[in-house]
Amino acid sequence: MARTWIQSLIKAFYIAKKDAKVYYFKAPNFTYGLLMPVSLFIAFSIAGQINSSLIVSGLTSLVILFGTTSIEAVAVVLEKQTGTFERLLTAPVSFFTILFGKALAGLFFGLVLATAVLVPLTVISRTFIANPLLVFIAITFSSLTFSALGVLISAYAKWVPEAQMLSNFLRFPMAFLSGTFLPLELLPSQLGIIARFLPLTYSVEALRISINDSAPTITYLVDILILALFSFILLVAGSKVLQRRLE
Amino acid sequence: MPEVSNVYDEMSAWDNLVFAAELYGVPRSERGERAAELLKLFGLYERREDKVGNFSKGMKRRLTIAAALIHKPRIVFLDEPTTGLDVQSSRVIRALLKKLNESGVTIFLTTHYIEEADQLCQRIAIINQGKIVALDSPEKLKAKAEEQHVVEVSFSPSKDVEHQLKDLKYVSGVSRVGDKFRLYVEDASEAIPMLIDFCRRNNLKIVSINTLKPSLEDAFVKITGLSPEVMAIEKEHAKKGESLG
Repeated sequence: MARTWIQSLIKAFYIAKKDAKVYYFKAPNFTYGLLMPVSLFIAFSIAGQINSSLIVSGLTSLVILFGTTSIEAVAVVLEKQTGTFERLLTAPVSFFTILFGKALAGLFFGLVLATAVLVPLTVISRTFIANPLLVFIAITFSSLTFSALGVLISAYAKWVPEAQMLSNFLRFPMAFLSGTFLPLELLPSQLGIIARFLPLTYSVEALRISINDSAPTITYLVDILILALFSFILLVAGSKVLQRRLE
Repeated sequence: MPEVSNVYDEMSAWDNLVFAAELYGVPRSERGERAAELLKLFGLYERREDKVGNFSKGMKRRLTIAAALIHKPRIVFLDEPTTGLDVQSSRVIRALLKKLNESGVTIFLTTHYIEEADQLCQRIAIINQGKIVALDSPEKLKAKAEEQHVVEVSFSPSKDVEHQLKDLKYVSGVSRVGDKFRLYVEDASEAIPMLIDFCRRNNLKIVSINTLKPSLEDAFVKITGLSPEVMAIEKEHAKKGESLG
């Protein structure tokens, strides 16, 4: 049992490595992942006088969300369109492993994107990061969750534009409702409840805590746990959707 | 292996094979050796570092087959391996398939090219409307069509006389193969004098005339009940696909 899990994990890693080689780390992927959230954030921070820890956590989470979901849409849907996805489906690898491999590539991509934003942003805003390890953990789980979200969308979509449209349908409301531009406490109570169902809320919260606190708080740990749970549920849902789409 | 080559254009031939080996759990120590062996066998070793996007259709198809063999399977399913390829590439792939089969690999081949099935297969299943209507060796299948004779003839000047030929006595069907006409007759010895007479009446000169042994295609026509005309159309489509590759 444990051996099968390890083998699946290794194969997922190979799929991630292949995806990184084929689709990721090309200039357009970085620019879209960075430009859209940065522009959104600059517009709101100018208007709303947001404090520095909110800027760093909010913008980093947004960059991860936009970057990973955009690339996952390309990585899975494009493979389905070109027929190379068949290569993965005919190999002795489960649907879950394939999608986990895809999400794993997104995770690495998210880490790179987040670092590209976080480092200059902390320098410019003179933000002191209380615990870089906690930040790293928060970024890792956020990247995995948003990649899994992208994977679920692209398991359903037939074309890249369809995947992008569905991604935007989820990303933009999430960006406004998850405490990215405005602390959750300031949101109307009903919206605050909705925010608790959105993974971006936990990503922003975990990042904010890790920037301000040197030790992990209970809220931080719960946030990470919920992000892990979101990742798992989204990947399982993605596997089911893919299976249905292929029947 | 599917009809369309599904290798990664953005990766090199070598990386494609190594990735396939990784997916199939080939031990790390054997991956390189196996990839090199297959690339040499399929004539791609010199181009191993090149991105597959720069390969021709035939080369991509060869690489797709090579990727399917990376884990040394005992049985391989090939779906239309030569569809859309040029004649040269098709021949190379057929030769490779023969070699593979001789090395002990069982090949399950799906094809619309009847000659290809005749050349490569030891047993053929003919599927009509989703059902297996015949399953035998090529020679035994051909024997089933032996009561029908085929006379192949070409005329000068080359004219479209297909409809007139169809109306001739003893002729049950006509198909056009390039500049030749294939006449399906019950008895060739009766049909040939009648054909000579037909030429005289129409001021045609016979350039070549042959009586053919029933081909697998004839057997196919007989077994499936498809008309020679439909077969000829299908064949033309298949040839177009081949020459376009």
